[in-house]
Amino acid sequence: MTTVNDNSSEYITNSSSSSSAGLKSLITVIILICVCISGFISRLFSIIRFESVIHEFDPWFNYRSTVYMTDNGFYNFLNWFDDLAWYPLGRIVGGTVFPGLMVTSGAIHWFFHMINIPIHIREICVFLAPIFSGLTALATYLLTKELWSKRAGLFAAAFIAIAPGYSSRSVAGSYDNEAIAIFALIFTYYLWIRSIKTGSIFWSSCTALSYFYMVSAWGGYVFIINLIPVHVGFLLLLGRYSLRLYVSYSIFYILGLILSMQIPFVGFQPVRTSEHMIAAGIFILLQAYTFFDYLYNKLRYVRNIETIFFNLSVIISIIVFAIVVLLTYTGYIAPWSGRFYSLWDTSYAAKHIPIIISVSEHQPTTWTSFFFDLHLLICLYPVGAWFCVKDLNDERVFILLYAVFASYFAGVMIRLMLTLTPCVCILAAIALSKTLDYYADAESSEMVSNFDDSVSICDETENDENNQDLDNNAENIDETDDDDQNFLTSNIKIIVVTCIAMMLLLFIVHCTWITATAYSSPSIVLVSYNSDGTRAIVDDYREAYYWLRQNTPEKARIMSWWDYGYQIAGMSNRTVLVDNNTWNNSHIALVGKAMASNETEAYKIMTMLDVDYILVIFGGVIGFSGDDINKFLWMVRIAEGEHPKDIKEKNYFNENKEYRVDKSGSPILFNCLMYKLCYYRFGELYTDSAQPSGFDRTRSVEIGHKNFDLEHVEEAYTSANWIVRIYRVKKLSNRFQAKDALEKSTSSLSEESFEKNHRKGVILNKPHVKKGTKKSIHRT
Amino acid sequence: MGQEQEHLVNTKVERTLDLVSHLPKEIISVTFENRGTKSARYYDYCVEPQHVNDVGYVGAIVRGKNSGDQTNLPIKQETTDKTKGTIYRIELPNDLRSSQTITLEIEVVHINALRLLPTEIVQHERQLVLYKTNAYYYSKYSTQTQKTIVTLPTDRAESYTQAPKPVAKNEQTITYGPYENVAALTRNEISLHYENNNPFLTVNNMKRWIEVSHWGNIAVEETIEMYHSGAKLKGPFSRLDFQRQQNSYSAVKTFKTSLPAAAKDIYYRDEIGNVSTSSVREMHDQVEIEIRPRFPLYGGWNTYYVLGYNVPSYQYLFNKGNQYVLKMRLIDHVYDDQLLEQVTIKIVLPEYVHNIEFYPSMHDTDIKRLRNEKHYTYLDTIGRSVIVITKRNALFQHIQDFEIHYTFDKIMLLHEPMLIIFSLFGLFCFVIILNRLNFSINHEENNEIRIRIKGIWNQLMEHNIKRTSFYQKLDELLNTFKTNKDLKIYNEQRKKFENELKRIEQNFNNLQTKIKADSVETAEKIAEFQQLDAEQRKITQLLCGNTEKLVNGKIKKQAHGDEEQNLRLKIRDINTRISTILNQY
Repeated sequence: MTTVNDNSSEYITNSSSSSSAGLKSLITVIILICVCISGFISRLFSIIRFESVIHEFDPWFNYRSTVYMTDNGFYNFLNWFDDLAWYPLGRIVGGTVFPGLMVTSGAIHWFFHMINIPIHIREICVFLAPIFSGLTALATYLLTKELWSKRAGLFAAAFIAIAPGYSSRSVAGSYDNEAIAIFALIFTYYLWIRSIKTGSIFWSSCTALSYFYMVSAWGGYVFIINLIPVHVGFLLLLGRYSLRLYVSYSIFYILGLILSMQIPFVGFQPVRTSEHMIAAGIFILLQAYTFFDYLYNKLRYVRNIETIFFNLSVIISIIVFAIVVLLTYTGYIAPWSGRFYSLWDTSYAAKHIPIIISVSEHQPTTWTSFFFDLHLLICLYPVGAWFCVKDLNDERVFILLYAVFASYFAGVMIRLMLTLTPCVCILAAIALSKTLDYYADAESSEMVSNFDDSVSICDETENDENNQDLDNNAENIDETDDDDQNFLTSNIKIIVVTCIAMMLLLFIVHCTWITATAYSSPSIVLVSYNSDGTRAIVDDYREAYYWLRQNTPEKARIMSWWDYGYQIAGMSNRTVLVDNNTWNNSHIALVGKAMASNETEAYKIMTMLDVDYILVIFGGVIGFSGDDINKFLWMVRIAEGEHPKDIKEKNYFNENKEYRVDKSGSPILFNCLMYKLCYYRFGELYTDSAQPSGFDRTRSVEIGHKNFDLEHVEEAYTSANWIVRIYRVKKLSNRFQAKDALEKSTSSLSEESFEKNHRKGVILNKPHVKKGTKKSIHRT
Repeated sequence: MGQEQEHLVNTKVERTLDLVSHLPKEIISVTFENRGTKSARYYDYCVEPQHVNDVGYVGAIVRGKNSGDQTNLPIKQETTDKTKGTIYRIELPNDLRSSQTITLEIEVVHINALRLLPTEIVQHERQLVLYKTNAYYYSKYSTQTQKTIVTLPTDRAESYTQAPKPVAKNEQTITYGPYENVAALTRNEISLHYENNNPFLTVNNMKRWIEVSHWGNIAVEETIEMYHSGAKLKGPFSRLDFQRQQNSYSAVKTFKTSLPAAAKDIYYRDEIGNVSTSSVREMHDQVEIEIRPRFPLYGGWNTYYVLGYNVPSYQYLFNKGNQYVLKMRLIDHVYDDQLLEQVTIKIVLPEYVHNIEFYPSMHDTDIKRLRNEKHYTYLDTIGRSVIVITKRNALFQHIQDFEIHYTFDKIMLLHEPMLIIFSLFGLFCFVIILNRLNFSINHEENNEIRIRIKGIWNQLMEHNIKRTSFYQKLDELLNTFKTNKDLKIYNEQRKKFENELKRIEQNFNNLQTKIKADSVETAEKIAEFQQLDAEQRKITQLLCGNTEKLVNGKIKKQAHGDEEQNLRLKIRDINTRISTILNQY
């Protein structure tokens, strides 16, 4: 499918000068449709391999709130107090969520049900991201068309449709804000370019509306509200001020400001936080500049007026800056948030907010992942930027600024690769299109290519009054290959074009492969391969979550590490203590402390927090690396941040300063709740026939502490491959029944000793899991 | 209750009490004789007052005749009497005349009759149940000789009542009797406390959704809430112990469901997605699904799932003209020894169906039909009629066919395709009209002028392309002339090209005059363009002249080369200027 697109977009470059406008637009439409379809289809690997299911962690919350919204209506959703999250605090969902995603799928759901198509909301949620990536391809086409040409636009659309950097967050089932936000981002940029080109109020109002949609969808709207002002500022600096710029920015800023404040989660932030101050400052500066410009036109006869105005502008910008600093200092404007800080100072988060750095998608990007996610495009991207610099105009300043900022952010945080990808696609498309203009055209002398440019421009108008002689012309042009004028022979051209086509083919292969292997795993369903190559599905997560849903009291409170909070709430429908909306660090630290303390201490915390069940993820039986033992040091660190007296990270290392679970491990580690819950009765299990019992296959060691009993908790459920282990917290024992309890304990003891004689044997046919999971997702 | 009934006497009764599953099943083979004078029409089967609520099913067949034709006899439940219990009146196939005998085989299934003792067990314990029953056959009539054979699931019985003698236990079976001459309505309670680890599965709520399409498909979906009704699990569940498979006696790991043989597109899922642990086996008369819930079911544990499939409608839907009959199973097999406590069946018929009549199976008396509902699905306009039926305590024995008769005009099959065709047609018409309307607020001439200027520019471009190509051809001509020195062809061709160029120039003039009225600026630009063009023509002529001279030998090659270089540079300069003019646009 994708090969067809690229070939046909090459075809259009060939035929651009000789086809009529009607045929050309028909081909354009067909290519765009093919691009959308291929973008959609290439994201369905997870559905074909697994099933139509919501992936990962955050999407489960989005799904749950969408279901809530479709069941209870939009206003109830805005007022929703979610009592399943953050026990005992709860969460006001309406005010702490970007509702764009839920509203979008809710609207689609409503529409389908209005015309009596009884589609389940889950299907809409699963397929929303692929559908929107088709729309993103269209928006990219429009944007590139404005920036360069239609041909480049077609290339850009084809690139963005399959680029792994984007499909990593928009495969079917990955129901997250980014799924729709990238579309909103690109479309807003398109409308912005359109409005500074025309200077029309209509287009700038459209920009503001699209910006509103973006604000409602994703926190990344800050990128827009900073990039556009920076663009305006740069245009002023470059002396490219025009009335069009004034009209479009003023309208966009005011409308966008008012609209963005309608989102409850954003509220007054646009006027009260530092992140938004560039926009306001540029707005004031632009007004001042316009005023001076007006005066300058009136007072042109006064001598030295230019110097006066220049000085005045400088003074005003200093004053504006000083006011912002002052307001920040006095507290009217909130300083930059920690997450924003960590973008500038990469070590900031490591020092102050371990919870941010503990998420693997917040790690700095390695250079390999640039190639991994963008392949050929990352090489073409500087070329495109250079072409833009060489042939600069108002809108190309914008794409250059976008490229600079997005490259920086993508280097800081792996997750922000996503915002870089569209820009890379656009610039690479420009580079490729410009190259092919030279090499893929039949006429290629300097003179003729100049004409060709002009022809392609005038082709955009749809006037086809005099097409009668076109065929004649094409023939004539074909004959113009003069040997003395051309430094390029047709052979060289063919070789170059073939090479480019080959590289594009390789790009397609790479994209498909990456999307299929790396980004299409739902992560709640794992796959293992048996020795005969057959695929076995490891469905432990859902098994255990479903057990919780069916067989625990409705109001049961589950303690687990925050990673699983959304999944438990979504799949088990039970109350959790902490979840992926990590807004309350001390609460998370308390859970971390409970996990890191010994059983008695942990029991105190758990009774304090009314915990009924504890859930831990343990991969030692099948060799699943993303388990809680591997994440445990982060729990300790976060707990230490809040409770430095009780929890010390160094206690969990052995004498060699290593974190180990084998015999050399630290005794404090062996006695902490997490270790005990993960390895309870694991010492009796033979995981590998060549190894002693209690061999941990994830860490490839025999565990150091076996045969211990649990005092305050009991095993409630363990999934088939032991990945999820759930424990029930026992109620405080009743003192008057001590006699009974004694009897019971003696009887159970005798039973156990009886059983011990029989405890032998290994599990048959246990599946083997490939170690390591998807890189950007598994949190360490 | 006729007087003559009193004269019936049970001559021989053999009770087989099957306690293997969680539903105790009694098969009573009764031979009775009419000792009265009048012929008997009915035989009354009685249930003890304490077991009245336990009875899930009573069925009777005539035994011993041709075994192929064993239809169930009609049974009517009479009023319940607190002291005597319930009476089920079995209608005999034909009147039993005086001193005739007949043998009936009565099948009774008891539900919820087993008491769990203890009610809570730990993981490795066996499940023990207590069952109480009458040692004698409880009957309205006196019984001459009778025997009760109890079959237990295992040979382990904690205790069983040893009286009235004789009682004999032989491995899994316990035989009570034979007893002679027991009077009517005699009760003698015996209790059995024994081990039963068979699956105690109970479906507490089942919804069955049958959607009929006249396009050849019937979709069936069963939504099942199920729990393990055995002794509750007390204390921890250990996966380690479970995996060793030594002592998880009472847990239910899998069970089998059979579907119709034609079932396809089977899905088995729950609220959070597909349940990946199940296997389908196709057999010649059925499709067997081995359902493995996500987790093993211990006592008191619940699960929930949805099982759906499609079957082709030709097996179940019959029609004659516009009269249709749907004949299929009201409930289907869920698992062996099933107990479905509450079943709701919804049958969705196609749109525009009328005269709906519902006929349950002859023997299914305790089903309830609720008001029809409406259901809207793909391309529906008035909604489909949904027939809603509920039933309590459905057992394996209740799997029976129902019939629905309705009328449907076949022409209405075209309704849905037509709906699509006409709505698309309407859409296209709308777009066509919309495209031809002008919504702009300011209807000004400017716009038209702009379009006209655009058109002129386009024409200019076209001509320019032609122009350049002719110049190039001329160039080529010169080159060929240089080599072959054929003056005749050269002159001919040159004249042709120059004529063409002249024509193009004429065109430029026309364009200029045309645009003058609209935009002076454009006209000026065109004039500039023309000027450049004229210059180029002049230079080209010079070039031609030079070449002619060279060919005639009037100037030297060297001088000609320099001159040519010079002129070509000029041409290139002109060309760039022309393209800047054109690019301005």
